Amino acid sequence: MTKKKTATPHTKQTKPSSRHKAGRGHCLKLLRQLSAYIDGELASDICKEIRSHLGACPNCEVFILSLQQTVILCRHRPVPPLKSADRVALRRAILKKANAK
Amino acid sequence: MATALKNRSQPLPAQGLDEFGTLYRDHVDLVYRYAHRLCGETEAAKDLVQETFLNAYRGLKNFRGDARISTWLYTIASRTCMKMRRKRKGEPEHELSLDEFVPTSEGEFRLQIPTEGLSPEEALENKELRRALDQAINKLPKKYRMVLILCDMEEVSAKEVGTIMSLNERAVKSRLHRARLFVRRELSARGILDENDHKSRSLHS
Repeated sequence: MTKKKTATPHTKQTKPSSRHKAGRGHCLKLLRQLSAYIDGELASDICKEIRSHLGACPNCEVFILSLQQTVILCRHRPVPPLKSADRVALRRAILKKANAK
Repeated sequence: MATALKNRSQPLPAQGLDEFGTLYRDHVDLVYRYAHRLCGETEAAKDLVQETFLNAYRGLKNFRGDARISTWLYTIASRTCMKMRRKRKGEPEHELSLDEFVPTSEGEFRLQIPTEGLSPEEALENKELRRALDQAINKLPKKYRMVLILCDMEEVSAKEVGTIMSLNERAVKSRLHRARLFVRRELSARGILDENDHKSRSLHS
């Protein structure tokens, strides 16, 4: 996963030493940042903190994996191509309608 | 761009017609793909393609080229889709809150779908998985659906999506995050088997 430094002042961590024992609160905080994390948009210190939380919290680790899988499936969902006959028919219909007014 | 769309003027002169022909030839597949993703089926997608290019035809001579053509067409298609859908049914548009995506039981953390050892393409050969994914995306309120489709399926940058939807980048990313969490939750709630997938290799560990 590539990490990119991006200024995200609102996500600045104030308690760098807080560990998973902070519990649910920490998981919730992480939930807010997951997309930015998987898109590689967070600063490296925040990524490091997230990774250490993931190491200590199997649920969050599974959760982030499932979010990544979701994004990957979306990216690869194919769309049936437009048929040649439809391409021609649509063009004709558009021009006909456009010139009718 | 908005004024270009409102301008319902005379048919284009010959040169404009050539321009339209080129625009259509080069971009109809892109518009159709986007339309199909938005509508979820072929006939509605074709209607949307037709309306989009009709609006593009009318706005073509005012298109100043200060945006990429694809951005301009995505914008027209998105607005046209909003209008068409509003006419068809007044589906309620609600906000998604992050709190609703916090898993409450063990089973909700993971996706119960056969993907292990498979490439995304192979995993998506599973009809049931494709259907579940499509249903999850179609269930999204449309302003979230559009952002998810543009960012994660059409792979348009958040900045460009902001231009298309008249949003700032932060708002785009916030909607995208909620949309992904929504689809994830929908998928995790479905137990999808690999019964139809003959090509699968040891799906469950």
